[in-house]
Amino acid sequence: MDETVGPSEMIVHLGPQHPMQPGPFRLNLKLKGETVVDADIELGFIHKGIEKILENKTYLQGIPIVDRICYLTAMTNEEAYVGAVEKLADIEVPERSQYIRVIVEELSRLQSHLLGMGEFGAFIGFVSMFMYTIKEREDILSLMDMVTGARITHTFLRFGGVRDDLPEGFKERSAAVFASLREQIADYERLFNHDEIYKQRCFGVGILEAKTARDLGLSGPALRATGVAFDIRKDEPYLVYKDLDFKVCTATDGDIAARINVRLEEMLESMYIIEQCLDQMPNGPLFFEDSSYGVRTPVMRVPEGDVFHRVEDPRGEMGFYMVSDGSDKPYRVKIRGPVYPTMQALPPLIKGTTLADVAAIAGSMDGCTSEADR
Amino acid sequence: MDAKSIIDSLVNKFQDSLVDAKVDSDIRVSAYLEPEKIVEVCQYMKDELLFDHLSSETAVDYPKRNEIVVVYHIGSYDHSVLMTIKVKLPRDAPEIESIVPVYWNANWYERETYELFGVKFNNHPYLKPLVLPDELMGDWPLRKDYEGFPNRTARNLV
Amino acid sequence: MDELNDNETVGNQEEYVEEVPGVITTTSMAITEFLKKTKAQDVINWGRKNSLWFLTQPMGCCGVEMIATGCAHYDTDRFGIIPRNSPRAADVMIISGYVTKKYLPALNTLWEQMAAPKWVICMGDCSISGGPFYESYSTVQNIDKMFPIDVFIPGCPPRPEALLQGFIELQKKIMAKKDHGTDY
Repeated sequence: MDETVGPSEMIVHLGPQHPMQPGPFRLNLKLKGETVVDADIELGFIHKGIEKILENKTYLQGIPIVDRICYLTAMTNEEAYVGAVEKLADIEVPERSQYIRVIVEELSRLQSHLLGMGEFGAFIGFVSMFMYTIKEREDILSLMDMVTGARITHTFLRFGGVRDDLPEGFKERSAAVFASLREQIADYERLFNHDEIYKQRCFGVGILEAKTARDLGLSGPALRATGVAFDIRKDEPYLVYKDLDFKVCTATDGDIAARINVRLEEMLESMYIIEQCLDQMPNGPLFFEDSSYGVRTPVMRVPEGDVFHRVEDPRGEMGFYMVSDGSDKPYRVKIRGPVYPTMQALPPLIKGTTLADVAAIAGSMDGCTSEADR
Repeated sequence: MDAKSIIDSLVNKFQDSLVDAKVDSDIRVSAYLEPEKIVEVCQYMKDELLFDHLSSETAVDYPKRNEIVVVYHIGSYDHSVLMTIKVKLPRDAPEIESIVPVYWNANWYERETYELFGVKFNNHPYLKPLVLPDELMGDWPLRKDYEGFPNRTARNLV
Repeated sequence: MDELNDNETVGNQEEYVEEVPGVITTTSMAITEFLKKTKAQDVINWGRKNSLWFLTQPMGCCGVEMIATGCAHYDTDRFGIIPRNSPRAADVMIISGYVTKKYLPALNTLWEQMAAPKWVICMGDCSISGGPFYESYSTVQNIDKMFPIDVFIPGCPPRPEALLQGFIELQKKIMAKKDHGTDY
C-alpha cells in the first residue's frame, strides 16, 4: 500500500488485536472520509513454522501438529495429511474407516460453519447470533468428543484407518442433535431473511463476480456463492464421497447474504451426508490385516516420490504437497490452505466500500489467521 | 479434457523446454520446465487449456544436488486435472520470472517462497517479507542448512 | 494506579514540597502498602475478584476455547467474568497461544494499555513451555520471564472447564493477597 496520504485521507490500522479478527493480523486501511481507498494486510503474527516442524517429525508424530494448523478444521487437515501419506505409501483404507472419516469430517464442517456464522453475526453488531450458534456448536462438539475424545484437536485418523470405532449410542444422540440443529437453521434463515437491518447491511454489499472470484483464486463457500460449482468432494472424490448423495450448494448473487446462505445450506447437506453414512455403513475391520501401518509400528518408511493431495475443507480447497525421500520423515511438506487466498482477496474486495462494511465483508469470508500464517 | 491430451498439447507446443512430461494418474500430470519459459507456459495453459486456478506455489531445497526446485500446482475450475510444473534453479543464486501477471494470487505464494527460501522473483510487484519478522529475513529458514532449528532457548531444555 | 511512577516523580520533587502544618504528604504506593495491612483490602479484593473481565485476543487453538468459555454454554458471566474487546476495559490478559517474535511487541503494547490492577493467565502448553511448537524458529520462549503470570493452565488445548478452574484459582489467589495484580 502506498503510505503517502493525500488531502482529507487517513490511514487506519485494524489489528493485530481487534474484535473483528479471528486471530492476530493487521489490516491497514487508507480512508477518504468513510470510503476505503486502499487496503493492505500484514500477516505472520502467529507464524509458527509448521512446515519446518513437520520435516523434523516422523509421519505419525506429524498428525497432532497438523491438527493445530487450523483449530476449527482439524479433521479435514488430518484427512489431507493422512490422505497424502496414504497415496504416497499406497495404503488402502477399509470401507468402514472411510465412512467414519466422512462422519467426523462433516461434523467438523458443521461446527466450523456454526462458529463462522456466529462470528459474522458479532461483526455486524448482532452478538446474540454468536450466543445461539455457540450453543449449537457445543452440541456438535460433544458428538465429536464422543467419537474422538477431544473437543477441537483430535489426532483421530491413522494411516490406513481410524483410531477408534463409533461409540455406542452415537446414532441416536446424533439424531437428537440434528433435529434441534435443523430447527435452529430454519430459525436462522427466517431471522436473516426477514430482518430489515440485516437486509440493508448484507444484500448487495461486497459483491463478488464469478470472473473476479476465479481470478482471485478463491475456493469454498465464498466461490460457490458466485455460482461456480467447485467442490473437491465432487470434482476429485476422495473417501466414499462418490457413493453418497449430496449436492454442491451454490448461489448466484455473490454478496454477503449469498455466502451466508450457502453456509446454511451446506450445513443441511452435511447432516444429510452423515445420516446416509450412518445408514449405509458396513460392518468390518478398521484396518486391513496385512496393513503394517494399522498396528503400532516403530518405524514407518514411505517410498520415494511426491504427491499433491487435496480435500474439501469447510472453507475451501485444502491441499498437501508432500515430498518423500524414502526415510521415516517427510522431506518437504507444503500446506496449501484455503484461507490464504481468501485473506489475499480481502483488500481488493473491500476497496471502495465503507469502513462499516469492512467487518461485515471480512466476517462473511470466514478467515482463520492461524491457517494463513501456519 | 483428459490428462493425456493436455500433456500432448503442451509437449507439441513447448517441445524443447519441457522435460520428463508424464501422466501420473487420471487427474495428475507433471513436467520439468526450463526457467525462462515459465510465464509463456502458464499463459498458454491459462488461455488454451483452461488451467485458470493456481493452487499453490512453493519450493523444495536439495543441497546435495545444489538445486532449489520451484514447484507450481496449477488446477482448473472446469476440469479436475492438476498440473505440477517443476523448475530447477541453481542454489546459490535462484532467480525466476514472476507469474503474477498471469495468476493474480501467485503474489503471496511468491513472497512467502522468497522469504523462506530466498528465491528471487523478477518483476514481482511487491517482493517484501510476508510472514517473517524483519530480524529473520535473510536466514531462509526452510532451507535444509538453516541453523536456527531446533530452537534451544527454552529454559527447560538446556 | 501507576504507583511506581507516582512514587518516582514525587521523590524527585521532594525538595519543592512545602510542609503544611497538620497535613501529611504521602504517595499512592504508600497508601496501597498501608491498605494491604488492613481489613479494607479484603473488601477491595472481594470486589476485584468478582469482576475479572478478560481480553478477547485469540492467538491459537486455546483462543477458540477461550471464546467458547465466554459464551452461552459455559457462561463465565456467572462468576462476573466477561469477555471484553478493548484492553482499556479489561483486567485479565489470557495468553492463549504461542507468542511469536513478530507478535511479542504487540502483546507488550496490549499489556501496557491495560489499567492496573491487571493479571495474566497462561493458557495452554504453548504459552507455558512452547507446547508442540517449542522448537520453531519464530516462537519466543520463556514467556513467564516477560509477564507476571498468576495462573498456568496446562493442556493442549485446555478444556473450557479448565479455564474456569483457572479463573477460580485466580480468585482464591486474590483473596489470599498472593497475586501479582498490583506489583507495579
